[in-house]
Amino acid sequence: MRPLKEVLRDWEAVIGLEVHTELTTLQTKMFCDCHLSHDDPPNTNVCPVCLGMPGALPVPNEKAIESIVMAGLATGCQIQRRSLFYRKHYFYPDMSKNFQTTQGPVAFCMHGHLDLEVAGEGAAERPDCTMEKAADGSYVVPIRILRIHMEEDAAKMVHVGGTEGRITSASESLIDYNRCGTPLIELVTEPDLRTPEEARLFMERLRQTFLALGISDCSLESGSMRCDGNVSIRRRGSRDFGTKTEMKNLNSFKALHDALAYEICRQAELLEAGDVVRQETRHWEPSKRRTVVMRVKETADDYRMYPDPDLAPFDLSDEFIERCRTRIPELPLDKRDRFVATYGLRRTDAAQLAADPMTAAFFEEAARTVATEVVPTVANVIINLLPATKKVMPAQVASLAELLASDALTFAQAREVLELVDGTTDDPQRVIDERGMRQSTDADALAATVEEVLAACADQVRQYREGNRKVVGFLVGQCMRASKGSGNPKLFSRILRERLTREG
Amino acid sequence: MPYIDELSAAEIAAGVARGDFSATEVVRASLDAIASREPDVQAFLQISADLALQTAAVTDARRAKGEPLGLLAGVPVAFKDNMQLVGTRTTCASRMLEHFESPFTATCVQRLLDAGATPIGKTNMDEFAFGSSTESSAFHRTGNPWDTQRVPGGSSGGSAAAVAAGEVPIALGSDTGGSIRQPASFCGVVGMKPTYGVVSRYGVVAFGSSLDQVGPFGRCVCDVALAMDALVVGGRDPLDSMSQSVPASFREQLEEPVEGMRVGVIESLMEHEALSAEVRAALEDARAALETQGVQFVQVALPHMEAAIAAYYVIGPAEAFSNLARFDGVRFGYQEPDCATLAEQTARSRARGFGAEAKRRQLLGAYLLASGVYDQYYYPAQQVRTLITADYRAAFARCDALLLPAAPTAAFRFGEMSTPTQMYAADLFTISNNIAGNAGVSVPVGLGKTSCMPIAAQLQGPAFKDHALLRVARALERGVEDAGRTCSGTVAPGFARMGGVLA
Repeated sequence: MRPLKEVLRDWEAVIGLEVHTELTTLQTKMFCDCHLSHDDPPNTNVCPVCLGMPGALPVPNEKAIESIVMAGLATGCQIQRRSLFYRKHYFYPDMSKNFQTTQGPVAFCMHGHLDLEVAGEGAAERPDCTMEKAADGSYVVPIRILRIHMEEDAAKMVHVGGTEGRITSASESLIDYNRCGTPLIELVTEPDLRTPEEARLFMERLRQTFLALGISDCSLESGSMRCDGNVSIRRRGSRDFGTKTEMKNLNSFKALHDALAYEICRQAELLEAGDVVRQETRHWEPSKRRTVVMRVKETADDYRMYPDPDLAPFDLSDEFIERCRTRIPELPLDKRDRFVATYGLRRTDAAQLAADPMTAAFFEEAARTVATEVVPTVANVIINLLPATKKVMPAQVASLAELLASDALTFAQAREVLELVDGTTDDPQRVIDERGMRQSTDADALAATVEEVLAACADQVRQYREGNRKVVGFLVGQCMRASKGSGNPKLFSRILRERLTREG
Repeated sequence: MPYIDELSAAEIAAGVARGDFSATEVVRASLDAIASREPDVQAFLQISADLALQTAAVTDARRAKGEPLGLLAGVPVAFKDNMQLVGTRTTCASRMLEHFESPFTATCVQRLLDAGATPIGKTNMDEFAFGSSTESSAFHRTGNPWDTQRVPGGSSGGSAAAVAAGEVPIALGSDTGGSIRQPASFCGVVGMKPTYGVVSRYGVVAFGSSLDQVGPFGRCVCDVALAMDALVVGGRDPLDSMSQSVPASFREQLEEPVEGMRVGVIESLMEHEALSAEVRAALEDARAALETQGVQFVQVALPHMEAAIAAYYVIGPAEAFSNLARFDGVRFGYQEPDCATLAEQTARSRARGFGAEAKRRQLLGAYLLASGVYDQYYYPAQQVRTLITADYRAAFARCDALLLPAAPTAAFRFGEMSTPTQMYAADLFTISNNIAGNAGVSVPVGLGKTSCMPIAAQLQGPAFKDHALLRVARALERGVEDAGRTCSGTVAPGFARMGGVLA
């Protein structure tokens, strides 16, 4: 197969996503009072309603409706005041009633969009982009959202005794109804995405948005956020749609990108060989980095959809929708822009901090107590040092950032201090004082270290004299190591240069 | 000492409260009365003697301790076998659920138990409530206590027959297209289908979710009012999102005069070709009985009523197909052994578990909801529903209630209705009421001049005016009594005082 970059010169990919998100932060299921948790022993969070027992009736979870309205408002959707639940029928035991309660032609949220900023390598995947491109090749593209509808999740089935957990060869199948009836929102995009990178960015944006709304833990690994990708390709310049395939098991951003990339290349190879693409559902195998056929769809399934007679039509009030609107917190992009404007952060740093609500809150808490010029250092510490630690408090980061900003501490020392205060309430200042870890700016002491290093590094000294000035970096590193990280690297560099120049 | 079938529910509750007899003695008398009648009537699928005795013992203990007793203290009640009651099976008269133990108790059942009622058993019905004669029960037929060679009506035929035969004073039924009002009419008892939403459907195995409504049978309007108060006194049921709260004041308003109230009649229906002469005559008597009490009669029209049967046999089967999809033999119900695949197990379990009428309705529903067909049938049926509801609204702007037949004829003989469509057509007078969601009640008005079988008048009222409707029903009952034509309040003659002495 030809590489993606090459394929995309001749072919244009048309990609649409269907994203299922479980509203994991709710307390109860969609239509009953069962506790929402998948970690409990199988079939312990169940009741007549989610088990589909005869005579049981659904009662909608108001909090779930609030969540989906918030999701719609945050993605520019029109909130439909009037909508209905429908029954979607299919015989399979993962759906206890043999129909799924979902929405019909009108969903709670219709016709929204997210604007993607595509930059760097990813931007190059779209050579003929009609969007205005910035000097660095980046571009902004609006991706339309067709709808977001509310539905219930199915039970989890485990097929035992067969190969690869597939039902066809299993000797028995186990069903855990704990997940059955979990509130689920399904977002469907218009086929506006053109590259795997755009698809990946869309998912990332969506995940950040839903995380900010606090409606789900959005875990692709555990499946609380699941994405199916539909892709077809067409010759560049063509307006027709090709035959699409549907991709499943895209349980990471990388899987989403790589599966789409593989599929685009696979389809191109087929078409270039005069073959045809079959409409089918394909499964991404991350270990073998390929997609394989799951099932072929020849006829459309008839789900016999009709309005659920157990659930009255919704007529959302303006008050309800406004209440949802007021509950929407600052969204990641707004937060990023504010971080840039308020704290003077670099855009990429601001975006990284703003992407996760917990990190953003931590940052702001730490930034609150320091001088404006120290805030970028706070950001620096959080982005570069924090991931290694677990229980550091904002005040400790603030204190550390101040020490760094005043050159009292090297970055290497800061890393060590963070590990020392991790899980404690100790003030980094005190830890440093106790251990005498302050960065040394004593020129005489540093000069002595330089002499030791030069004596031990005759080779590098020779190289320097032969004109290789880059070797100074190595020598600074050796000085830092000799001083156990306490020497000021700028001072070391200056002394080294003076010393080497003088000798030469 | 009296025979148990001589007492109304209100009298039993009062007697238990006064200590004239204990709840346990009432149960023993009822079980005796049932034992002597069941060989002929076969109204029950299950007698819950132990459960009844336990419940009665609790009631007696409460009284002994001087604790307050409920509205139905010690009153034996029977439940249609599509209502869940822990400690009993809920079979829906189907092989599919022959051994299905109720996993929880339906709200309507619980409300009666909360009022102190004694659960005496589960009654026969058409399989999953599909039918108008109880003949589609997978287990046995139920005889009409007035002539056991005739059907008791259906689908709540067992509940109607149990009350008419004097086995219990109160039974619950469910009415999707007339399944309370028509058997009440055939068996000469009072049967009420309240407004959709007045009684919770939670725990009642669904047939047509937008049409189903639970209601009581009694031998007199007073007992029906008592049961209604017990059903609604707990307020709206949070487990049924269609449930609404209505005041528990059915008995309070029952005896208020009806003078000046207006009752509508629909000329075209009274002239309907399917209507038998004796039913038409009985309706004339009913009109006279109300007129003597100062009720004014007005002519109204329900122009789209002719389309009701067609709409009903689209909406009902569509909802039934969907509601019965859960019976796949995987987790409960009949499971065909030794199947190689899940699909085979599902198909064979359903093929073996369901009877002919249940299959017919589900297949019909599956067809009607298929893509391409949906727009031709289901959608127009809903449009008809809107029109019929509007017809009723217009009619009720001019009157407080409608007077119409409950069924075109008196009870027919077993096997007399030879085709399903013939049976469906007989639902003409009851169906539109479910389509509109309004209240309806059937009140016995005498015996047919040719059949010598009970005949009822049906009264229909606007949604959530159930109290006023029952007041008109009581006036009709009173008028019929005054005219000396009563069969209300009495047990079918062949079974009166047949065992069940309160000792």
